[in-house]
Amino acid sequence: MSSRHLIYASFAHEKDLLEGVRALRRAGVKILDAFTPYAVHGLDRALGLRPSPLTWVCFLCAMTGATFALWFEHWSLAIDWPLNVGGKPWNSLPSDVPIGFELAVLLGGFGSVFALFGVCRLYPGKRARLVAPRVTDDRFVVVIEETDAVTTPDFVHALLEPHGVVELEERLAEEKQPW
Amino acid sequence: MNGYGFLSKGQATLFAIASLCGALLIAASILLSLTHAWGNLLIAAVFLVTLGLGGAMFVAFSYVSGAGWSVAFRRIPEAMAMTLLVGGIAVIGVLAVGIEHYHWEPHGEPGTFWFKLMWLSPQFWLVRAVVYVGLWAILAFAIVTLSRRQDRTGGAELTLTNAKVSALFLAVAAVTFSLACFDWLMALTPMWYSTVFAAYQFAGMMQAALSAIILLGLALRKPGRPLEGIFTDEHLHDLSKLLLGFSCFWMYLWFSQFMLIWYTDIPEEIAYLVPRTEGAWGAITGMNIFLNWLLPFFALLPRPSKRSGKIAGRIAGAVLVGRWLDLYWIIIPSLNHGHVATGGTPVVGIAEAGSMLLVLGIFTLLVARMFSKADAVPSADPLLQESLHYHL
Repeated sequence: MSSRHLIYASFAHEKDLLEGVRALRRAGVKILDAFTPYAVHGLDRALGLRPSPLTWVCFLCAMTGATFALWFEHWSLAIDWPLNVGGKPWNSLPSDVPIGFELAVLLGGFGSVFALFGVCRLYPGKRARLVAPRVTDDRFVVVIEETDAVTTPDFVHALLEPHGVVELEERLAEEKQPW
Repeated sequence: MNGYGFLSKGQATLFAIASLCGALLIAASILLSLTHAWGNLLIAAVFLVTLGLGGAMFVAFSYVSGAGWSVAFRRIPEAMAMTLLVGGIAVIGVLAVGIEHYHWEPHGEPGTFWFKLMWLSPQFWLVRAVVYVGLWAILAFAIVTLSRRQDRTGGAELTLTNAKVSALFLAVAAVTFSLACFDWLMALTPMWYSTVFAAYQFAGMMQAALSAIILLGLALRKPGRPLEGIFTDEHLHDLSKLLLGFSCFWMYLWFSQFMLIWYTDIPEEIAYLVPRTEGAWGAITGMNIFLNWLLPFFALLPRPSKRSGKIAGRIAGAVLVGRWLDLYWIIIPSLNHGHVATGGTPVVGIAEAGSMLLVLGIFTLLVARMFSKADAVPSADPLLQESLHYHL
């Protein structure tokens, strides 16, 4: 895979970052990602991010958990080895509901967390690769890909100058996911 | 302005006719069954007073938690809180004429029942209702008055004062609302009790109050109305989220109460559930769960439907019907003492239609009137800007 030219633009304030991102998008520049020390309100909208599919992962996992629990309770208590508990009918749905609820929460929770880890390529022992050290403290970084001949560091700098960009750096990235 | 706030003259007439029809239908239903008519009046009165209390609690929660997002449309729950006195007087009146429906006398054996005997003596019981309503009304009016005074004086001090008044209100309301639920609803079956009953009613109350806020917000943001451009999709989104949460909370408590009674199957406890789940009442139970949880849960789960006035508004309407049905499910079977085993047959007749129309008409007219008595937006609230530019 050929190496890619990436531009790392740093801002000192979240307002500058938001305006910078909007200016870049207006100019049709491709933004790969943005890195901030904390969740910046409105950044997802400024970046034009699609709504996260994580909610659907959570929902489907939760429904799987509930269905599995209800089916398993019914099968084990009423079909495979019928148990008389308090003289209730074999197939007593009310007694199955709490476990169904628990498993829905459990699978929904774990499903979303592990899906998030998978998407972010997070695993135990992973070495943090920061796009800039100060991104965990007081810097806001936007990563831009040079997709065409127009998108040069000079061009980006001219775009971001009015929005208070404090640092602009061009790097070569070998991997598909440089962070 | 014709005194009915955001309602046009035609709409105000329509709601007035609805309340009148409701009252006439209930009056007519006395000929069929006095007990049934009274039960439906109790449903309407409790529904009305809890809409007011729910609105007041919403305002108090916002102040206590320092919430900024809800400031822009705070005049809606404030207007709801101002209806508390009417709802409270209605409930006291209904209780006063219906003491005989609280059948505690036949159960007055000595021994373990002595406390209930004292607690449920008709005089003490009625005086308590006055005390509850009085406390709610005084504290809620204090909060609303301070909020309105801020429009003229400005400054952040009143917000801080109101946070303290709200904390007091919440502490008082938590206790008195629990007791009110026991007194007004649970005491209809004096030998039966449930420790989650008040929490279950709190969930139902907040569900209904949030639905009312959503519907009023949607009505008030129509072009030309006072909250146009102020009540945004962001506010709707958060209200829908709260509605979704309180629906789940309601279901959780409803089921907690149901399952433990069903599981242990003790005669004096199950005697409450049998008339409410057997036969045709089983369908009412199912409908209750559908309207209060199943429908709002699955319909409001996706993000776009929380932000859509069309979907969220319809769900809010359905939840309000569900709240009515929940009260019906609690109150009516207790009144059919001749048919304890079956709870009688659930009737949806003129008395039921009457109590629905009565709540709809009176509440809408009252809220519209109360809303028009103050500025539509708390213009001097220090958190107003945050609320106007609120983004999730």
